[in-house]
Amino acid sequence: MQDHRRVVVTGLGIVTALGLDEASFWESMLAGKCGLAGIKKFDTSEYKTKVSSEIDDEILGPALKARKIRPADRSVDIALLAAHQALEQAGLFHPGEPPEPSSMATVFGTGAGPSLSVFNATRKFLDRGLTGIRPSTVPTCIINAVSAQISMRFKLRGPNFVVVSACTSATAAIGTAFKMVRDGQMESVLAGGTDAMINPLIFGAWNNLGVMSANPDPETASRPFDMDRNGLVLGEGAGALVVETLGSAVKRGAPIRAEICGFGESSDAEHITRPDPEGQAAAMKAALGSAGVSPADIGFINAHGSATRTNDECESISIRRVFHSAADDIPVASNKSFFGHLLGACGAVETITTILGLETGRVPGNRNLVNPDPKCDLHLVGREAREVDSPYAMKNSFGFGGHNAVLVLRRWDDS
Amino acid sequence: MTVEEIIDKLRELMKQSSTEEEVDWDAITQDARIETLGFDSLSILDLIYDIQQDFGLEFEAEKLVEVKTVGELAIFLKSAMDA
Repeated sequence: MQDHRRVVVTGLGIVTALGLDEASFWESMLAGKCGLAGIKKFDTSEYKTKVSSEIDDEILGPALKARKIRPADRSVDIALLAAHQALEQAGLFHPGEPPEPSSMATVFGTGAGPSLSVFNATRKFLDRGLTGIRPSTVPTCIINAVSAQISMRFKLRGPNFVVVSACTSATAAIGTAFKMVRDGQMESVLAGGTDAMINPLIFGAWNNLGVMSANPDPETASRPFDMDRNGLVLGEGAGALVVETLGSAVKRGAPIRAEICGFGESSDAEHITRPDPEGQAAAMKAALGSAGVSPADIGFINAHGSATRTNDECESISIRRVFHSAADDIPVASNKSFFGHLLGACGAVETITTILGLETGRVPGNRNLVNPDPKCDLHLVGREAREVDSPYAMKNSFGFGGHNAVLVLRRWDDS
Repeated sequence: MTVEEIIDKLRELMKQSSTEEEVDWDAITQDARIETLGFDSLSILDLIYDIQQDFGLEFEAEKLVEVKTVGELAIFLKSAMDA
């Protein structure tokens, strides 16, 4: 029988509208700040939805320049920035020194990859035909540019690839990294997720699908589990985690942020957009089984909680199917109430939030939960952060295509 | 356009496509060798494309095989524009 190794997280990197580093992000979360605003990148007068979670270019530009990241594609740029933070924190990259080649793998989730570059290239082609297409369009626009650019920049010579499974992409990437390390394939993996889809075409596609909130007030638009929730709010962001064996982390004297104990995944195999509670429940059960913990051991759940009427009700049903009466006492919150739905990156950013919650014992609330929907029959955290002292947490992600990916994480306490 | 004006423009275009962070583009003179300015086989294609678009010229990239310095490139472009 394969000897499974313990898997830990030793570095975190986070790039969102709520902060371009861990400290400012977490401070903003605990202070209840809103990461949403009216869209600045293009004219939304014809769109039903006017708000999103855009990263401020006036802050991002200098942050990229400070790390000598030449802007190439937005989703790649922010992924590189998050990767820098995670690797630096883990002691695996030192600013000012050339990267030391390693056998680390890179597994990154993304829903649409370099989507802004694809949009811009398409627009130029439609304007000017063949002469509008820049020679470097292929290497810029391939979806695997996300993981490849990270691998190249930091000389990570293990396998590199992207995981594309809609809103579960990053969670599944972290889960894949967990299995690669646990099962002995790799000593370490840089895992995470990125997406930057706020452009007129993709935003327009989401607009016309009708699942986004039409609430023009950014402060109140994203309302997971609330009776008056009326859709999701898109955002852009990236998160990165250094995932390695416990042995390797201890040998290096690396800071251990959390342990990844389990991962479960499943497919609904039902509908391309409508979620199914059985599929979701199967992924949660698989994650618990993989971690060797029972439902009652979970201290809090970082929900997918996208704020659509369908997801939040479905997720509530699926959590009940797994946790039964234990769900009466397990706090549930969705970070999307703070910074919207980061699509292929949400799993990474929200896993990081879960780790910070385990470390600090403080779990950010459901920011806009004013009137809980009775159909969301869960122990929902209120609007304020609350204290939770527990070793285990669960992170749920569910995505279009019937994808379900769930992680179980453990607070690191040197044992 | 004079050769100097073309060199000024080239500095701007090279800054866009080069992969080298440490170049002081304002200090680039006509004797600067293009191969030292952070262009690989991919980014040089982008540079040639940007030059063609910006100067409104069409030429085969092969015509630049003998062009080694920024000054030689500027002279090549001037003669293409004057032709």
